[in-house]
Amino acid sequence: MAMKTSDDLFNHRVTKELDNTFMRGAVSSAQERFQTRRLLQAAELGHWEEWRSHGEEIRKHVLANLDFYLYQLSENVAQRGGHVYFAQTAKEATDYIKGIAKKKNAKKIVKSKSMVTEEINLNTVLEELSCEVIETDLGEYILQVDDHEPPSHIVVPALHKNKEQIRDVFKEKQGYDKTEKPEELALYVREKLRNEYLTADIGITGCNFAIAESGSITLVTNEGNADLVTALPKTQITVMGMERIVPTFEEMEVLVSLLTRSAVGQKLTSYITTLTGIKEEGDTDGPEEFHLVIVDNGRSDILGGEFQPILQCIRCAACVNACPVYRHVGGHTYGSIYSGPVGVVLSPLLGGYDDYKELPYASTLCGACTDACPVKIPLHQLIHRHRQVIVENEGRAPVSEKLLMKAFGLGASSPTLYKMAAKMASPTMSPFTKDNKISNGPGPLKAWTETRDFPAPNKDNFRNWLKQRSKGGEQ
Amino acid sequence: MIGTIENRDAFLSKIAQQLGRAPKTELAQPIWQYQPQERVLKNATKDELVEVLVEQCKNIHTDIVLTDTANLTKDLQKVVDNYGGRSVVTWRDERFERYGLTSFMTEHWSQMGIQLYEWNPAQHEENIRQAEKANIGITISEITLAESGTAVLFSSKNKGRSVSFLPEKSIILIPKSTIVPRMTQAARFIREKIRDGEQIASCINFITGPSNSADIEMILIVGVHGPIKATYIVIEDQ
Amino acid sequence: MKVTLFATCLVDMFQGDVGKAVVEVLERLGCDIDFPENQICCGQPAYNSGYVKESKNAMKKMISAFEQAEYVVSPSGSCVYMFKEYPDVFQGDPIWEQKAQALADKTYEFTEFIVNVLKIEDVGAHLEGTATYHTSCHMTRLLGVKEAPLKLLRQVKGLQYVELPGKDRCCGFGGTFSVKMGNISGEMVTEKVHDVEQTGADILIGADAGCLINIGGRINRQGKPIKVMHIAEVLNCQ
Repeated sequence: MAMKTSDDLFNHRVTKELDNTFMRGAVSSAQERFQTRRLLQAAELGHWEEWRSHGEEIRKHVLANLDFYLYQLSENVAQRGGHVYFAQTAKEATDYIKGIAKKKNAKKIVKSKSMVTEEINLNTVLEELSCEVIETDLGEYILQVDDHEPPSHIVVPALHKNKEQIRDVFKEKQGYDKTEKPEELALYVREKLRNEYLTADIGITGCNFAIAESGSITLVTNEGNADLVTALPKTQITVMGMERIVPTFEEMEVLVSLLTRSAVGQKLTSYITTLTGIKEEGDTDGPEEFHLVIVDNGRSDILGGEFQPILQCIRCAACVNACPVYRHVGGHTYGSIYSGPVGVVLSPLLGGYDDYKELPYASTLCGACTDACPVKIPLHQLIHRHRQVIVENEGRAPVSEKLLMKAFGLGASSPTLYKMAAKMASPTMSPFTKDNKISNGPGPLKAWTETRDFPAPNKDNFRNWLKQRSKGGEQ
Repeated sequence: MIGTIENRDAFLSKIAQQLGRAPKTELAQPIWQYQPQERVLKNATKDELVEVLVEQCKNIHTDIVLTDTANLTKDLQKVVDNYGGRSVVTWRDERFERYGLTSFMTEHWSQMGIQLYEWNPAQHEENIRQAEKANIGITISEITLAESGTAVLFSSKNKGRSVSFLPEKSIILIPKSTIVPRMTQAARFIREKIRDGEQIASCINFITGPSNSADIEMILIVGVHGPIKATYIVIEDQ
Repeated sequence: MKVTLFATCLVDMFQGDVGKAVVEVLERLGCDIDFPENQICCGQPAYNSGYVKESKNAMKKMISAFEQAEYVVSPSGSCVYMFKEYPDVFQGDPIWEQKAQALADKTYEFTEFIVNVLKIEDVGAHLEGTATYHTSCHMTRLLGVKEAPLKLLRQVKGLQYVELPGKDRCCGFGGTFSVKMGNISGEMVTEKVHDVEQTGADILIGADAGCLINIGGRINRQGKPIKVMHIAEVLNCQ
């Protein structure tokens, strides 16, 4: 699976997902929980706005000096015996990793959760080599077993599935014979995966934050799976989006503090692990061979342009949890592994407008995302910017809409035209008006009146009332 | 051994080009405008930090025991018994001796039916085998973060990573002197090591309670891939 | 005090009663209202949909219309916010950027004007009933007017206030979103109406015509016995 998760039309996806009652209930209740916890943690920590500003300045500084920090990181990784591969494209990255798997004659690979590995379609490439690739994050494992269903949320990938569905997945695909109780399902997965860690040839991880000063990578989990993935197999491969880097341990801890509170409302997750190079002399656990694959895949094209702030993202999904649109349509509607506001901004940039042109319009520009972002990305402004690009540069706006907007532009800049339109509004709409409201509107109004009434235009418009009044008319 | 670096120049040149300048290989230390992390638990005493730690353990499904070197053996035994004994894996660390634990564990446990295994840098396969089947793993925190209830473990040849997450239950000994307000102090501590030219551990683990997941219907399950239970034993060592 | 009214196209065409209430309340508070005839629309419908070029002429019209004004007051947080964005829209323009800034600096949302400029919180209003209040996104998050409406409502005699669960959540209007993505918008407004019902209030109050037309439209369709009022209309009740 690559970044794109569906070949279905956007409108079909919306209709389908709006019908998914379980998903909508799960999403709205998860949103409540995450938002409440995030706000509680922010209040408890105190001076949250300062924390956000500090997070923002760190990320901005790193992006402005990204080449330097990547240089420093690569030098330090190599010093600690790790190999660094800079991959400009997804193919370069997967070819390199394929090469390692072949060289090691790897049969079994265990993975911890990584959005960038999904973006570059790594699992598919490795499976073509007849490698068994096993996701160890509980949510990702469930989706993998369910015929590689795409994730619907950056942090809780299987949010859209209920426990009965999960039980059925395990039953049908693996002969699971216990109940749908979450503890039993989790125990089943724990026991099943236990041996896989111990017998895997390669462990593959993503990277929450690479630390330039020491050549370290930081992994943030609650399950402890990333630790098992990196401690036991002899070869470790870490794949990182090139912007996921900080200068030192001090900035790492600030961003981790923002991440864990914003993502899941915890002060810290159960396991935050910094790994540096290969195992030291005499170490029992840890990899003998370590590869860091640094992926561009379109990120550098965003640098230096007006969308650069999106690269500040630390993948906490606070914006997703705040979005009132995501609340109703869920992650699969976006057709991308990156959903919600961050997905709306990022997907067209990494994947082009062809597949993602509707996304920037799946927003009311309410600004809840911008408010929630711990590193102050102006998400709603970037979403708006996409609309501008779509209209002006891409020329992709629907013709009827373009005409309407041109008409608007004319009418709204000519008082004469406007007054005419205002006078005509009531009589024009009168065939559709009943009891001073419109219940079955024409043209664009139709989409509105499916669910709502629309007020009939004022018969006598306001400005006439005001004029009469000042002439000494009605008081 | 120094690792290889491939395709760096073109990659970094593209970045610099997009940023409208030449590639940088030097940079002054940034001076940050905001430092909110300094404030947290700023003037707290060690005892106050212990209180914070105790409170936080309630939120992270972790039991906590306060003891001193005189009572450590007794209190540790209680926890081990509570966890069902059977098999214990520990690090090889001179503090076990210093705290009077080594003699007790080696002399008494076999009689009590508790199998003890100490990490052995010369026995790699055996180490993993023992850790995998052990009921309990005992490690020692180097730095402890009061705010989040976090123990920081540094790996080495005598202190295997697996001891803290392969066994079903985890006991972490926390010398009181290691307790600091939050991760900010730990980050500084590590940076000083780097500045002093020390090679930092290949694995530094910030561990907060047992493992958990809320991936199934957002219902919290404690004990997924890592330990299902955790206890901190704070030792008054000053 | 001379106040220039920016009525907004929605009020002018569809919610004349709101405009009337704004005028009557401000006059009662000692203001002289004037109304430049050349005002039409702030440009949001086109601008927010990405049609910046098409909206610029409309914007210039507005800037010119209000050039002589000292205080520009409007009963719509989103339209006022649009004025605040004009300087960015005309950034770099040798003539219009400065004019845009001048307009942005002197434009106030209705409740903000009463509380922060006129320094009045009790306008002498009287309305019996239980009411809840929906905080419009543009007005609250983007324009930053959060306290003023509530301060005014607290002083309305006879009015019981119940907080709306999820009051900060978008009602689903979003301008052209409400027709472009009508089905999603419909679901969002349905949830909003459900939340309003949960409060048991018989009046829903808001400060933005777009939101009120949206939520009111759904309330009407569902036949709920909830009266929808703009805060100006509430403050005009005696």
